[in-house]
Amino acid sequence: MLSFLVKRLFQGIFVIVGLSILIFIIARIVPGDPARMSLGPRAPQFAVDELRREMHLDKSLPVQYFYWAEGVFRGDFGKSINTKRAVNTDIREFLPATLELALLSGILFIILAILLGLLAAKHHDKWVDNLIRGLSYVGIALPAFVVAELLLLLFGYVWPIIPVLGRLSPETGAPTHITGLFTLDSLLTGNFTAFFNALAHLILPALALATGPLFQEARLLRASLVDNMGKEYISVATGYGLPSRVITKKYLLKPSFIPVVSVMGMDLASLMGNAFLVEKIFDWPGISRYGMNAMMNKDLNAISAVILVFGIIFFIVNIIVDIIVASLDPRIRLGAKS
Amino acid sequence: MKRQLKGLLFLLACVVLVQGIGAQSQSRMIRCTVSGTPNIDPGVGQDYGSSMALPNLYDSLVFPQNDGTLKPMLAEKWDIDRSALNYTFYLRKGIKFHSGKEVTADDVAFSMQRLLTVGEGYAYLFTGVVDKATVVDKYTVKFTLKKKFGPFVETLVRLYVLDKDLVTKNTNKNGKYGEMGDYGKDWLITHDAGSGPYTVSELKQQQYLSAVQFKDYWGGWDKDAPDSFKLMDTTEGATVRTLIRNKDVEITDQWQTMENINAMSRLPGVSIAENFSGTILNVMLNTKKAPTDDVNFRRALSYVFDYDSILKLFPGSAASQSPVPHDLPGFAAVSSYRQDIEKAKQALQQSKYANQLDRYPVEVLCNSDVPDLEKIGLSLQAAAAKIGIKIDIVKAPWISLVDMVSNVETTPNGTIIFVSPHYNEAGSIIESRYHSKSTGTWEQAEWLQDKSIDAAIDDALATMDRTARFAKYKAIQSKIANDIVPTIWVLDQAERRAYQSDYVYWPGAELAKAGKPVTPVMGYSFYFHDFKIFPDRKKK
Repeated sequence: MLSFLVKRLFQGIFVIVGLSILIFIIARIVPGDPARMSLGPRAPQFAVDELRREMHLDKSLPVQYFYWAEGVFRGDFGKSINTKRAVNTDIREFLPATLELALLSGILFIILAILLGLLAAKHHDKWVDNLIRGLSYVGIALPAFVVAELLLLLFGYVWPIIPVLGRLSPETGAPTHITGLFTLDSLLTGNFTAFFNALAHLILPALALATGPLFQEARLLRASLVDNMGKEYISVATGYGLPSRVITKKYLLKPSFIPVVSVMGMDLASLMGNAFLVEKIFDWPGISRYGMNAMMNKDLNAISAVILVFGIIFFIVNIIVDIIVASLDPRIRLGAKS
Repeated sequence: MKRQLKGLLFLLACVVLVQGIGAQSQSRMIRCTVSGTPNIDPGVGQDYGSSMALPNLYDSLVFPQNDGTLKPMLAEKWDIDRSALNYTFYLRKGIKFHSGKEVTADDVAFSMQRLLTVGEGYAYLFTGVVDKATVVDKYTVKFTLKKKFGPFVETLVRLYVLDKDLVTKNTNKNGKYGEMGDYGKDWLITHDAGSGPYTVSELKQQQYLSAVQFKDYWGGWDKDAPDSFKLMDTTEGATVRTLIRNKDVEITDQWQTMENINAMSRLPGVSIAENFSGTILNVMLNTKKAPTDDVNFRRALSYVFDYDSILKLFPGSAASQSPVPHDLPGFAAVSSYRQDIEKAKQALQQSKYANQLDRYPVEVLCNSDVPDLEKIGLSLQAAAAKIGIKIDIVKAPWISLVDMVSNVETTPNGTIIFVSPHYNEAGSIIESRYHSKSTGTWEQAEWLQDKSIDAAIDDALATMDRTARFAKYKAIQSKIANDIVPTIWVLDQAERRAYQSDYVYWPGAELAKAGKPVTPVMGYSFYFHDFKIFPDRKKK
């Protein structure tokens, strides 16, 4: 397992470097002069030239990349032309908001997908299964932002029992900053008012983001379970008189999860990047929205930083998924050993 | 059964809990949605949101009035010498910054010098004009100009006076401005150094700017004035509609679609304010690209355009009568293009492209970020087809549009853009729209580059006498509108915003309702000091 990890990490370095070069080039070939865009059409030329020099835009692409990469190694992503402050500061502020959203969304879709998948498989080809499959088609077809709008309409207009916008109510102070995740920070500091308030604000955007993956994974799990249910070793176990709960837990779940875990990992990693519209609709100050604003304004430093951060998160999640899959499926571990 | 009952009770408890979480407090706060978190550094901010915030946090020497004149603010009075190159301002005594320090001439000179050095924000109004700012005595400051500039005092509404000591104290010495370090830019992102009626309490990027009343404000307070304001960074339609419906916002931004505005107008206690803001909607015609390089072709397009149908898309707006919007001082009604198919055909016949329309398709570009603009393009396309002109509509995001119009080859035949003035005079629009200096920017996609127009504009701006200057503006407007016709002037836009009229007294909205002029200087109709809030009148 250790050698596997080392190998993946080593591969990851090349992936991240390649990603950084790609982002760098793409961000710079998109039309528009970021210095002029930032300062406006009437800004004096000396101010525009000064900003271009500051951003090294007067240098060749390889030299620009060198400066940027050197800064990244020092932990300095440069300055955002939108927020006028260090991109590091922006990421420190906005990343936890999206992480928190993605984490709750991930927890929701994993738990609900497993529950729905198990329920559908248990009652396969009966009305429960058909209902869940029907809902799945709708859930997968509906984009997250449509779900978000529907939830906003329902809980903002029709049944306003839950807050719909932002991370906290105006009268609730933010908890002491430890991680930036309001729910975790408030629990760690014993600030339960902030905890419940933050959680209430999280529910709707997390649900909107979770809907697509939830039904996707539920369908996948249901199909995998039904497929494995028909296998001979399950018939043998049933023939031996083992209770169905034991069969499910000991013999059915593990192999059925293997295909689902990989997809769950991909979906979990993509939650952060896909959160942009949900963040916009629920007025959630996350990094996804920050990244999209950066792209609309050609904020080069911010674009590069956001995509790099997403790339690293994707890479880490993929490694974790590989480890989980390897632990679920001994064939993969043994295959790796041989 | 017991388990199920416990579960139900738990669920009910959660519902009660979140009801409490969802409850909102009532206060005399005024909240507006804006596009983008405001830049509250007076040397940096210049977009709409920033221009709303700055007059509330800072004072300037003069203040724009609704009738187009200026009233003294930090300055009691001013003199202009015979050469018209030296302006001396005499400050009021005893005005305090939020820090408690008195406003002096040193602060005014510092503020101007800072603006000229940094070169961002509204600096462009001064960099080509002001040579230096000199402290004459504690309450007297002199500006020396590089050249005569008639509207100079008008531009001073954008010189926001900073507390020099406070900024210097919070300067990062590692900045690029020599001994001035970063000129306080880092600190001023989230703090203010002003003397205005409000002071910053919190700025959270991508979220909001909030500010509270400065109790010792020299201008005093009405008992019903807002005790705080909040500018919230969101223009998302469903979000804004939810906010205004739940009374979580008092005034919306001006970027809402017509459909959303109409829906919000039906909410109880909500009215729609329609304020002219000096903004004019243009179809800028590239005078250097065939077939729009032909004045008769441009005239044909101006006569074929269906102005009335577009006015219906922008309720409250007015038909343009000049290259300058009607609410700007110096405006002259010099043209009256209306759809006239016969005149369009006659103009087209005189064009050198009359019999070659197939060889010269016309491309019209609109900003894909503003959905309503495409409707204008489509309307022009349909109208032009009546006289045989084929128009292709191209959509591009703002960033691409700005890039396309930076080069004459890539600038399409027509570009649909709103333009607003930089200061409260016709000269601002005339200069930014038709002087050669602005070619290659999104403010001028016509590529006019007419030396006689440049000379006329420079001459008008150098004219000190207001009446004489306005007469020159009129002549320029007439020449542009009737002889050159580089643009289709679609309409003078009325900004439409939904607001809580049941408990908010908005002076600008009330004036507009009464058909009276409202200052078109960007952001100044949101001078919250003059608003009133009556929380007890809030309709549930």
